Amino acid sequence: MAGRQLLMNFPVTANSHTLAEYRARGGYTAIAKALREMKPQQITQEVVAAGLQGRGGASFPTGRKWQVVVPGDGQPHYLIANADEGEPGTFKDRWILENAPHLLVEGMLLTAYALDARHCFIYIRGEFDLPYRRIAGAVEEAYAARWLGEQIAGSGFSCDLIVYRGAGAYVAGEASGLISSLEGKKGYPRNRPPRLTVRGLYQRPTVVNNVESLANVTGIIRDGAAAFRAVGTEKSPGTRLISVSGHVNRPGVYEVELGFPWRRFIDEDCGGVLGGRAIKAVVPGGISSKVLTGAEIALLALSHEALWDVNSTLGSGGMIVIAEGTCMVHLLQIMLRFYHHESCGQCTPCRHGTGWMHRIVDRIVAGEGRPEDIERLYYVAKYNDGTTICGLGDAAGFAAAGILDKFRDEFEYCIEHKRSRYEGRIECLRS
Amino acid sequence: MPEILINGQKFEAEAGQTVLEAARAAGIFVPTFCWHPQLSTAGNCRMCLVEVEGRGLDIACNMPVSAGMRVLTDSPEVRAHRRAILQFITLNHPVDCGICDKAGECSLQDYHYAYNGEASISAEPKVRSTKYYNLSSRILLDNERCILCLRCTRFTHEISKSMALGVESRGDVSVIRPVADRPLGDDPYSDNIVDLCPVGALQSRQFLHKTRVWYLEPTPSVCPGCARGCSVNIWHRKPEWHVKTLDPAQNQSIARVTPLENPAVNGPWICNKGRDLARIFERRRATEPMLQGSPVALETALERARELIGAARHPLALVSNWGSNEELDAFQRSLGAVFTAYVKSDSVPQPGERLEDELLIRADKNPNSAAARALYADAPARLPEGTDLVLVWGEGCDFGALPRGARLIFLNAYLAPENGHADVFLPTSVQTERDGHYTNFQGVISGFHACFAKPSGALDAEALFRSLAAPARVHA
Amino acid sequence: MKSLLKEFEALRARFPAGFESSLVLPCLRRIQEERGYVADGDIEELAAFLGVPAIQVEEVLSFYTQFRRRPVGRWHLQVCRNVSCSMRGAEGLVGHLERRLGVAPGATTPDGRFTLSTVECLGSCGTAPALMLNDRYVENLTPESVDALLQELD
Repeated sequence: MAGRQLLMNFPVTANSHTLAEYRARGGYTAIAKALREMKPQQITQEVVAAGLQGRGGASFPTGRKWQVVVPGDGQPHYLIANADEGEPGTFKDRWILENAPHLLVEGMLLTAYALDARHCFIYIRGEFDLPYRRIAGAVEEAYAARWLGEQIAGSGFSCDLIVYRGAGAYVAGEASGLISSLEGKKGYPRNRPPRLTVRGLYQRPTVVNNVESLANVTGIIRDGAAAFRAVGTEKSPGTRLISVSGHVNRPGVYEVELGFPWRRFIDEDCGGVLGGRAIKAVVPGGISSKVLTGAEIALLALSHEALWDVNSTLGSGGMIVIAEGTCMVHLLQIMLRFYHHESCGQCTPCRHGTGWMHRIVDRIVAGEGRPEDIERLYYVAKYNDGTTICGLGDAAGFAAAGILDKFRDEFEYCIEHKRSRYEGRIECLRS
Repeated sequence: MPEILINGQKFEAEAGQTVLEAARAAGIFVPTFCWHPQLSTAGNCRMCLVEVEGRGLDIACNMPVSAGMRVLTDSPEVRAHRRAILQFITLNHPVDCGICDKAGECSLQDYHYAYNGEASISAEPKVRSTKYYNLSSRILLDNERCILCLRCTRFTHEISKSMALGVESRGDVSVIRPVADRPLGDDPYSDNIVDLCPVGALQSRQFLHKTRVWYLEPTPSVCPGCARGCSVNIWHRKPEWHVKTLDPAQNQSIARVTPLENPAVNGPWICNKGRDLARIFERRRATEPMLQGSPVALETALERARELIGAARHPLALVSNWGSNEELDAFQRSLGAVFTAYVKSDSVPQPGERLEDELLIRADKNPNSAAARALYADAPARLPEGTDLVLVWGEGCDFGALPRGARLIFLNAYLAPENGHADVFLPTSVQTERDGHYTNFQGVISGFHACFAKPSGALDAEALFRSLAAPARVHA
Repeated sequence: MKSLLKEFEALRARFPAGFESSLVLPCLRRIQEERGYVADGDIEELAAFLGVPAIQVEEVLSFYTQFRRRPVGRWHLQVCRNVSCSMRGAEGLVGHLERRLGVAPGATTPDGRFTLSTVECLGSCGTAPALMLNDRYVENLTPESVDALLQELD
């Protein structure tokens, strides 16, 4: 086990997702306590004190996001759980939705109480079927048990929760794109200002938090900020759910105490690399985070600050382990195809830049690369960085520049020899 | 009043202004495609990226001013990014300026020369799209030229409210498309999107491949289509570009009509009827004075008219509400004491025409009712019995309803069967051939100017009225 | 759509007042579940029912990959070919399915039984390669398990 656990601290069984079992594990005591003993501001203070950082990708301090919303300012506030988990390599929120849906519901209740939000939404990606049925079932159970609805637990606090299904758009996982989608429109992200916490869903103050962030709120209120801070590192308190895929023996979702040694996690928890091969590279937090080489991660800890130090990020916690012998050109081609496919088309640099990069790498893979292609990819990546409405354009550039920075020789080889040094291989099947 | 620095110079900005607005107010040009003062901020073209010292680059159109901010609109970073944005825009743009009507007044062309100047650095094949998409009977869409600034969609949602346009699909294959069941053809303001389009994607079928814009010049005018009296520009060939062969009629015809921004009347918009002024003014013209259908010399016709006026005991005039303020004044001064005068409506709503709405269109389909009614009452349904002479000025007269037996003097600009039935017929000029003013329903006075010479034989009503007021010569 | 109106009314009641526009996605999903696709006539009806512009419904239908304006086969196989799935054999699997079904991605078998599609990341990277069979995920695929799956489907 990769350190202490805060979320995956119960055995998953056929019924562990139900209200009865959640209650047996102490579920809904945090909200009961909060409604009895705490003012909304105290919840926010506790989450700020816990130092919880957003688990969706940007790692923004969750409590500080909430502080922008003023409870009782006479207008409706909304809370949205972002369950549009679509960052390639990421499937950890799915674990919460499937196995601990009530943990999310309780975390949302606490957050809604803190934010003075009468209506909450869970925006879940449209493809998720079992996760949807589990979370929708949990919401029904919570209504039946009166943990949702009017005057919860005999308090003056009322809260409704709606599960809203997306319909297939990566960009709807971006908070403002999500809001456009939840308003029943195409998922175009919005320019800031205004911040969503000032004008979000239907122009009202709206907090959008990742599923795992909200699930962590439950424990923070139940056990206190100090208990949360006791886990992890000083700059990265708590744990992260890491979804591991790619060339490892035991892919899956793991809870990792922040600060845990990276190599040990891969070698012990994930069972090492398929076929005992060396690690060529690791995508640390979804393909939008910059790739690291096997050498770079050798001595690295899994923490936000450690990743920032090497100019990357833990992002969405989607870790893809890439074994030696994999063609990085082909891998980048797949990534760029993805961004090209998912660009919403709203703003100029991303609409054209993602396709431009995709076509260049397509050509290189097809053996028609030109010497200037690498500079051209850098050019597009550079001018997508910080020029777009949302982070999708930047991310496509990060993915490209990240791989080019570290594996430029493979691209040069492919351009010069009209074929991949690794024959385009990316597969590494189970032995 | 926050003080901000733009390119090192201090300016007082207004609270609530964006950096773009503040810069433009200070006379510093920041290029934009998607931004438009009358539309919501889309912030999608990214052309207006500016640098804020200490904060990096962001778009000026969505950046509120704050006291002490130091904005750079022309730093090396900004210039490099503008070049890159233009590289992105031209990546899949066909650059077919040679066959594009927008050439010469295209933002993309202008910005390319001002900020880029370099050919595309891309070697990739361009993304192809629909070259001629039929948006409506009036507008063609070239999706390859479209830069998806969404001015047109925002216009139909925010201004004309037809909700006719949207974006289909996503990414670099996104295309502007009209909603299936409510075609853009029902939107009486649709042609504004042609002007709004910063590139050559939206094309007027009327204007399609007709001429190059640099052969044209605009003359300020007023749309006579309704009582709003929108300010317009009437575009016609520059004198130095008059064609001598092929089709000389082009020299005398309206090439297109566009709005002339006038905050007091129409803002930057006009309706489609205003685009179609050629349909009004370029009908076949009457150019010969006539007595009961027989062409005569002008002086003969005038003399006969004077006789009729001198002999009449109960003369009545139906005054045109298409007459300019100057013409109405001339009538009143010259003939007002002689005639009992009423206001006639020259034009009534046509079948299918929008009667009235909250944007521009007024139910009164005449340009100068306000000024005419300031002088005279509307004509009653039944004209007084005993009237022995009627002077009809302009169109829209129900000749069957005139008092029986009365003589008729008729002033009209166009060929019409009634011209030949008048005792005296006098051909007049049209609005595009003279200067004048109209008073709109709000009392706002707007002026128009002559674009073309009068056809020989046609006379200005103003001169005619003065001439008719002279005493008739005594017959020998 | 008419048969769903009661359900849509109930759905509307669950949302806060003024959220009619939000119902576009859930209503389209239900229409598609019932009909198999969204027909042209549904657009105008839904727009009128919710009081939103018809163009908004059309935009939504074309923006999200899960909506379709045309029917698909009885079994819709949507194979993920994003990074993690490709690293575990998805590309070969797509080729295998093309050969088995005799159609390229995007096409339906002539008997109307199968539609083959490729999709980007299903969030099933830890159980790669994966596909969606209608609404259900089928994971940890191998050519053999895909063959067995096809056998099961009528």
